[in-house]
Amino acid sequence: MIDDIVFISQITIKSSIGVLLAAIGEIFAERSGILNLGVEGMMLVGALTGAAIGLAGGPPLLALGGGMLAGALLAMLHAFFSITLRADQTLSGLAIAILGGGLSNFLGRPIIGEVGIRLKAFPLPYLSDIPVIGEIFFNQSVLVYLAYLIIPFASYVLFHTRTGLKIRAVGDDAVSADVIGINVTAIRYCCTIFGGILAGLGGCYLSLAYTPGWKENMTAGQGWIAIAMVIFSLWSPYRAVLGALLFGGLTALQFFFQATGIEVIPVYILLMLPYLLTIGVLILVMHLKKGGKDGKSPRCLGVPFHREG
Amino acid sequence: MTQNPAATPLLACRGVEKRFGPVIANKDINLEVFPGEILAILGENGAGKSTLMSIIAGRYRPDAGSIEINGKASLFVSPAKALSLGVGMVYQRFMLMDTLTVAENILLAADACGRSVSLRAIKKEINLLANRYGLEIDADRQAGSLSMGERQRAEILKLLVQSARLLIFDEPTAVLAPPDVERFFQVVSRLKEDGCGIIFITHKLEEVLKIADRIAILRKGRIITQTTLDRVSSKRDLARLMVGREVVLRVDKPTIATKDTVLEVCGLTGPKGSMQPAFTDISFNVCRGEILSIIGVAGNGQASLCKTINAQTTGQNGTIQFLGNSFDAATWATRRQSEIAYVPEDRHHAGSVAGMDLAENFLLTRLEQSGNSFWLQHARMESDIQTAVQEYSIVTHSSRTLAGQLSGGNLQKLILARELAKNPALFIAEQPTQGLDISATEEVWQAILAQRQFSAVLLFTGDLKEALSLSDRIAVMFSGRIIEIINAGDADSVGRIGLLMAGAGG
Amino acid sequence: MRLRLEKRYTKPQNEQLLIAVISFGLALLVGSIIFLIYGANPFLAYGVMFQGAFGSSLGFTEVIVKAIPLMLTGLAVAIAATMLLWNIGCEGQFVFGALGATWAALYLTPDWPSYSVLPALIICGAAAGMLWALIPAILKAHFQVSEILTTLLLNYVAIIIMDHLYFGPWRDPDGMGFPGSALFPDAAALPRFFDSRIHLGLFLAIAATIVLHILLRHSKWGFRIRVIGKGPMAAQYAGMKVNREIIRVMLISGALAGLAGMSEVAGIHLRLQEGLSVGYGYDGIIVACLAGFRPKMVPIFALVLGGLIIGGEQLQSSMHLPASIVQVLEGALLLGFLASEALLRFRLRIITSSSPSPSTNNA
Repeated sequence: MIDDIVFISQITIKSSIGVLLAAIGEIFAERSGILNLGVEGMMLVGALTGAAIGLAGGPPLLALGGGMLAGALLAMLHAFFSITLRADQTLSGLAIAILGGGLSNFLGRPIIGEVGIRLKAFPLPYLSDIPVIGEIFFNQSVLVYLAYLIIPFASYVLFHTRTGLKIRAVGDDAVSADVIGINVTAIRYCCTIFGGILAGLGGCYLSLAYTPGWKENMTAGQGWIAIAMVIFSLWSPYRAVLGALLFGGLTALQFFFQATGIEVIPVYILLMLPYLLTIGVLILVMHLKKGGKDGKSPRCLGVPFHREG
Repeated sequence: MTQNPAATPLLACRGVEKRFGPVIANKDINLEVFPGEILAILGENGAGKSTLMSIIAGRYRPDAGSIEINGKASLFVSPAKALSLGVGMVYQRFMLMDTLTVAENILLAADACGRSVSLRAIKKEINLLANRYGLEIDADRQAGSLSMGERQRAEILKLLVQSARLLIFDEPTAVLAPPDVERFFQVVSRLKEDGCGIIFITHKLEEVLKIADRIAILRKGRIITQTTLDRVSSKRDLARLMVGREVVLRVDKPTIATKDTVLEVCGLTGPKGSMQPAFTDISFNVCRGEILSIIGVAGNGQASLCKTINAQTTGQNGTIQFLGNSFDAATWATRRQSEIAYVPEDRHHAGSVAGMDLAENFLLTRLEQSGNSFWLQHARMESDIQTAVQEYSIVTHSSRTLAGQLSGGNLQKLILARELAKNPALFIAEQPTQGLDISATEEVWQAILAQRQFSAVLLFTGDLKEALSLSDRIAVMFSGRIIEIINAGDADSVGRIGLLMAGAGG
Repeated sequence: MRLRLEKRYTKPQNEQLLIAVISFGLALLVGSIIFLIYGANPFLAYGVMFQGAFGSSLGFTEVIVKAIPLMLTGLAVAIAATMLLWNIGCEGQFVFGALGATWAALYLTPDWPSYSVLPALIICGAAAGMLWALIPAILKAHFQVSEILTTLLLNYVAIIIMDHLYFGPWRDPDGMGFPGSALFPDAAALPRFFDSRIHLGLFLAIAATIVLHILLRHSKWGFRIRVIGKGPMAAQYAGMKVNREIIRVMLISGALAGLAGMSEVAGIHLRLQEGLSVGYGYDGIIVACLAGFRPKMVPIFALVLGGLIIGGEQLQSSMHLPASIVQVLEGALLLGFLASEALLRFRLRIITSSSPSPSTNNA
């Protein structure tokens, strides 16, 4: 029984990291007022780049760096369209998602299924010896530990630093921020690109650690789920963890049922659950919002900024 | 007077000009402000006051002319640059970031001006300045939770922390409660004593007389009068200066006998769902054959009242009688929208659809009246719009022209034509001539006057001249209540309207 | 000196043409770069693509075959976008349309007179698509949940349902374990024309285009939809019931996507099987955008995109380049569309800090 719980918990964490990293990146972009629907594409491109560099014999750090750079480049494209050209952010994000998907499918065709780097679980000394908890939390891949660090870091930057202050200012009230002299454009660019970096890293996690190797559309909608989880998190990194764990938990259940052969719930229902749950979460958030509890959505989200004159 | 010709002006505008595409917002602006001087800027809506102030504060860049600060030519590329040179502005719509605390707001402003200070140091500075100028505020509160008065104090502190010497206020008292207004005046006079220059935009003559040293009056983007306050003897003088010399009615207004009562509002309070009602206990009636104006300074509840009477929002309390049928405030909203002709204030977004052509715009609110057919009657739409174009002399290439391409005046005539084509019992117009030129204004006025024959007319306006020119009766609104309803023929009472609008009682 | 975007006060002529030219120029450029990265000659590749799509009558009829679902999903996206709704869920509604048609063909109509089978298929396909679109519509109208995310997430759910059906309950008992439903009876196959795979769906799609065009342009309902899309505040002012129209339009949109799925399964595959959901729903977004969300332009761009897809297939078979280059070109097309639109709305201007800017223009 305990073993089952440990197994499920461990896989829950494993399965949630991709969504989590992408969601934290998206929180930064949206906090600054940029809706980035291209996360799925950025994750895919990141995953492919990481896998390809690994396959070519590059060291893991280079693979990670490459994946993040690929995500950043696509994010830069989105930033250029939605900030500089003031294009419709929905369409620009969709275009990025399609483009990223296409690029990864096209360029990744030759290396489907081949595995270069496999970031195996790396038990942390001492910590992993703690009963139950050690096995669940500290017998994971290095990227999981990195995510452990990124969560508090992101929250700290966003809520306890001057940079975070500026980011929130730009996303909530770009006009006021501009009037006191904050560079709205620069901050939005930085946040969008940071979002792309984390999406790329999330992709790398999938292709280097979670299910090593490149597979077409291997994100299977995790980028979109990440965007929904951002709404669920009310734009706070800690609550995004909760959302990501929900997603990871459902995935872990699938593994558990598969591994044990128990089928309490039919597999195809389990497969659907992450998506349905995400929709349910969206309804819940909107319902709470309607009831007067204002979801703290950045007020300038999706609104291009332009100072006339 | 504080003005000393020998001193260097804090600010000097020389031939400043600003255009937005084809629209000239400001032209030939020459203006000076000296240390320790309070300059009041007066002018009607759309006269270009706010644009001018935004230029001085570095938010917009001028298309021509120069601005000198302390005698040195300066080109402001951003508000932060202007502020670091000592010029700061408190906008009408306060520019605080609601989700941040007061101290954080001020910190960010300092940061953007290149000063890297800690939050603690900023709080210290805030307290120091707050004590000195009477701007008490809790620096740790979220800006979103502040009252209007507190917001304003935070805005002023934001500028003072950056050692601003010239402070610009855009209608600083428009949204303040009376005690806050008093307090604001005290702050301003203390700033003046310290040698700061102050510019403020206002509609309230009372205030001008109370604190200004000098006034400048803008009309159509130009300064038409600049004078010192000692040359103005009374409010009436000032009113004449502001409205122009032609206070006499230029519109021919034959008297018409009033007929049946169309709308009777009794004890209306609303709108529903707001914590503080925007309007309270409103009662009046309008008859066919008369024009009732509801006049007031912006922000005194007229806009909200207008929405409820138009059945777009629901009221809380009170009753509305329409053509003999009684409605309570809640049911009214679901019943009457299509039977009221209404010219809304925002003619570009609410009153028309910029991306659709004139014939289609002419149908916007007349869809129900245009018969039961499932299909659009293009031929009829075409003939309707042609008639309207001729009748109201709307200048346009064709009925296929997009509404967004019409000038403001022609667009307003189109909306007017459409609403009047409904042949309504009740006709409501909201700020119908705001931002229009003289000739368009006259045409709109003529049309409204003519409609009196067939409808009861309810006119919401902030423009005293408009109210005087058109109305049979004028209801003055202040802080959500109708203070008094004055008969337009009563010359003595009419003189008091300006004071009533400013909340100056009897 | 710096670069700024300024609002244009006049519109350039031939707007639509300019947008199309710039979009395609940009897309081809991006595609070339990708080909070069992959180590292929872009000119050769484009040549092969064009030859494959428009070089032979067989190729061209295949382009039309592809254009059928693209027209329908393009219309579905366009009608929703007319009132500022983003139906990213055409793929799921497409799948449901196919499910509806399959159910009708295999389980509802086997004993029906043959003349009634096709109408039943069409109705069931459209109804199933509507059903799937109803969920996001209700969520949008009554809970203000963004339709972008809900429609998109439901795509994944729809595909899982479809997979489950042809792997499980609907699997052909005589299929020797092959995943897929039984073959449709002859009466349930859409008739084909011109000695090719072009099927009845083409005429459905053309009819839908005409009907939508007429409804949008000439009916009061279409008028309302256009007002809601172009002037939400004006719609409020005129007392239009926006929530009701959200539901209606999403239902129509879902029905169109459902028809696409129906025509694909009953016109081409003739059984529910893998390879049915290949992204026609997403392609519809691109078709609709390039068409400027105007129904009458949709067929043209559906043909163009169909050509792209066939060209991609040709590329794969003759040059062994992955056909997914089409997806890259589509993404680039959409970006090109956005870029050209921005250039038409704004003009680029270089500002020098010393001189005040000259007047723009007086029009």
